[in-house]
Amino acid sequence: MSIEIKNIHFSYGQVKALDGVDISLPKGAIGLLGPNGAGKSTLLRILLGFLTPDSGEGSVLGYDIRTQQDVIRKYVGYMPENDCLLPGMDAVTFTSYLGELSGMPRQEAMKRAHEVLFYVGLEESRYRMLETYSAGMKQRLKLAQSIVHDPKLIFLDEPTSGLDPQGRTEILNLILDISSKKDIQVLISSHILSDIESACSFVVILNKGKLASEGKISDLKQIDYSLYEVRLKGEAGGFINKLKELNYRIEQTADGLLKVYLPQHADSQDMFKAALDEKVQIRHFVKSETSLEDRFAQAVGVD
Amino acid sequence: MTVKEKGYSHWKGEFEEKRFPWWPITRYGIKLTFKRKFFKMFFFMTLVPAFVYLVGIYISERIEDFNFMIREGTELFSVNPAYFKNYMTNEFLLFMIVMIMVFCGAGLISDDLKYNSLQLYFSRPLKKGHYFLGKASVIVFFLFMVTLVPGIVFIFMKLIFSGNFKFIQQYPWLIVSIFIYSVFITGFFAFYVMLLSSLNKNRRYVAVLIFGLYLFTDILFGIFYGIFRSKYFSLISIKVNLQQVGAAFFKQKTSYDISWLYSFIILILISIVSMLVIKKKVTSVEIIK
Repeated sequence: MSIEIKNIHFSYGQVKALDGVDISLPKGAIGLLGPNGAGKSTLLRILLGFLTPDSGEGSVLGYDIRTQQDVIRKYVGYMPENDCLLPGMDAVTFTSYLGELSGMPRQEAMKRAHEVLFYVGLEESRYRMLETYSAGMKQRLKLAQSIVHDPKLIFLDEPTSGLDPQGRTEILNLILDISSKKDIQVLISSHILSDIESACSFVVILNKGKLASEGKISDLKQIDYSLYEVRLKGEAGGFINKLKELNYRIEQTADGLLKVYLPQHADSQDMFKAALDEKVQIRHFVKSETSLEDRFAQAVGVD
Repeated sequence: MTVKEKGYSHWKGEFEEKRFPWWPITRYGIKLTFKRKFFKMFFFMTLVPAFVYLVGIYISERIEDFNFMIREGTELFSVNPAYFKNYMTNEFLLFMIVMIMVFCGAGLISDDLKYNSLQLYFSRPLKKGHYFLGKASVIVFFLFMVTLVPGIVFIFMKLIFSGNFKFIQQYPWLIVSIFIYSVFITGFFAFYVMLLSSLNKNRRYVAVLIFGLYLFTDILFGIFYGIFRSKYFSLISIKVNLQQVGAAFFKQKTSYDISWLYSFIILILISIVSMLVIKKKVTSVEIIK
């Protein structure tokens, strides 16, 4: 296991950020999901040793999170969520500087800085001052500084925030490349589910400081219900009530589409019977693919 | 922009166990300071007193060559501990030191706060102490260049120009005094500047604070002294406190007839409070409550 934590508690004053979280994460790309305030960033900060947990224990790459933070940081890369740079530097100086602070010899850090900047696609702008960088370039630069010392594990906090669709795809491709072909483990904290779904194989869902769900994405998608998309002609109220009596979960979108979650052993014919009873016509009936979004919604208890 | 034209390759090297992991912070701090507009000019101006005092040492030893400049029977000047004290505590030098602090110290921490870069430092195997030491060493470098280095050079030149060790035999404690006072004034300014730099994210405000506070305390002393005629108001002034301590370290009479220990304690207290505040202000993460 690359990351293992047991019964971690952490509070900011009276506010509980993490409340008895137990996680064992395997190797590979891992997604850390949760709504705002779920405790994702706090967990990352504890794993990096920025914060010391109030109670509980854990290890990252086999090193204790309470006593061996310095060693952990040597082998871990961190890409922060918000913009962060050192003014007055160009990208090469910035990246090699942070490599040096990680413990790399000066010459090696400089050489390596060129390599990683080339890798993330900043080769042409590497001598430009950081203050002149666009949002997309800053994201790439943050990724470059997180891999300059060739870490075994990278923590990426909202790696695609503030990017246009093309920039997002490019960053996700880089992350996918690093995690799948380069034997580097990646932990991505994000609330953009599609990012996690496209880059990760394992996911951890946090909600209100607690572990809501964890597992392989493919397993999590095998959820214990079937999802149907239904459109009706006529008054939907009676139809919805009828299905709710049968313990079906129903969501209605703004354009009138009904998402009907059928329990595992329920019969989809019940919907047609209910429509017949309520004298409404079913105009659209499609069995939908369950997504991570559905699982996420179920785990954090939102519709 | 093309992604992945060249693949990622693992680094084959090994991490160094560095004795001074904070050194890159200092090196880049010094480098960036020298890149600042007008800094080189100010730094050169700060070295002018050192050059003048060095010429003074030369003249004192080659007095016969300069007889035409002085009246018979009068002494031009003599190089003694008072001479060193005058160099170390002269108003121009202190003023220029503050100017240097404005250049090299104002953005030391405030820039990191403004650009959220603390998390970049602390996500490396770097302790908080290393960070502070790295930043403080930038100040130490520049202040030693205008205090300790000239002081040592003066002594060496004095020995070279005189051609004997009489001077050092006469004042064997002088090197220690130069060293201790340089460390003291450097330490004080390091804490003073880092405190102010950690209080605001805007380096311009910090620059104004560094300069303003130094002048303000001196002006305040002038006003109170003018009204109440009490020498104890000199303790308000940072400049006077530094001069009082300097005079004591070089075994000279203090300018104001009060114990130098008061000044010493005040400056130490400011340093301790600064240290505590800086420690609290600099956290690796923004904690939102």
